[in-house]
Amino acid sequence: MTNFEKVVEIMQENRNVDPSLVKPETTFAELGLDSLDMVELVMAMEEKYGCALEMTADIKTVGDVAQLLGA
Amino acid sequence: MIKTRLCDLLGIEHPVFQGGMAWVANASLAAAVSNAGGLGIIGAMSAPAQWVKEEIAKVREKTSKPFAVNIMLMSPHAGDIARTVIEEHVPIVTTGAGNPAQYMKAWIAAGIKVVPVVASVGIARYVEKRGAIAVVAEGCEAGGHIGDLTTMVLVPQVVDAVKMPVVAAGGIADGRGLAAALMLGASGVQMGTRFLTAAECTIHPNYKQRILAAQDIDTLATGRRLGHPVRALKTPLTVRFAKAEFDSALTNEEVESIGAGALRIAVQEGDNERGCFMAGQCAGLVKCEQTAEEIITQIFSEAEALFKDQKPWLM
Repeated sequence: MTNFEKVVEIMQENRNVDPSLVKPETTFAELGLDSLDMVELVMAMEEKYGCALEMTADIKTVGDVAQLLGA
Repeated sequence: MIKTRLCDLLGIEHPVFQGGMAWVANASLAAAVSNAGGLGIIGAMSAPAQWVKEEIAKVREKTSKPFAVNIMLMSPHAGDIARTVIEEHVPIVTTGAGNPAQYMKAWIAAGIKVVPVVASVGIARYVEKRGAIAVVAEGCEAGGHIGDLTTMVLVPQVVDAVKMPVVAAGGIADGRGLAAALMLGASGVQMGTRFLTAAECTIHPNYKQRILAAQDIDTLATGRRLGHPVRALKTPLTVRFAKAEFDSALTNEEVESIGAGALRIAVQEGDNERGCFMAGQCAGLVKCEQTAEEIITQIFSEAEALFKDQKPWLM
């Protein structure tokens, strides 16, 4: 599973987002998600994958969050 | 005496914070609140680091008790001020209007106690995991920058989700609000609006008069279209702003420009036409000008009386 797929899976589980709407360049704003939703997603990812993700102010797209998960 | 774990954690006598209100929360107010046994807070707002440094020095001249600096994360100077609080050995930092994660490691390494202001359970859990010592859970009854949830629903959900102490904010202006917050599981409260009329608060007398005259329905939240809503008293300016928000012919920049500099005008000039008088919904509960010490003594004795004798509530 790629990092992008992991993010999309969590978005579906946690925020009820339809995976068919999500591409790496899709912004959270386009999906109707705000900064609080993003924090929810990051917490869900940290708990599922046991990692620590550094959120920065320039996260805009789903691909940006996938990059946080690293290689 | 009402004591909670927040008192020992921060070295304060009474578990009450004074909100880090922009243009309002200066050394005069913060030192008065700290001297009265609460936690006085300097609001760094969008000011340059040098101003914050000077206010820190003034607080230290007036009190040896703990105080905090509130860092507004949307400020263009947030990065500079993040360093200033380390250089100045500020004991406690609160943060607002965003996610403080990028600064927390350095603050905690420097021994600073970090207390972010949060508007959701998720961000409370996020900052706890990164070493926050407590959080302020602020409901949208508050003045200034606000989130979506009310204090009544936000506080108990944050309390359930974290182990650290939770400070309730938004809508609290008297001993009843304090008692209610403690019943929701909070370990303390933060008040902003009630301290606007403190004797040591240096805002323009017109601002204080407006707070004292305010009724329950006299505040308005604007700016949702811009993604950062703000609550203030209804004035010609805020009503104009609210109308402009619904005008699709105007760009976001044009809407934003209506409010530019208006809080400073309210605080320094007291101009009823051009000023933005930020205030919480509890302005209607604020009835007189008192010293910070009188305010704190009064709210805690009111809350103690309620806990001692619950008969006013129960048949």
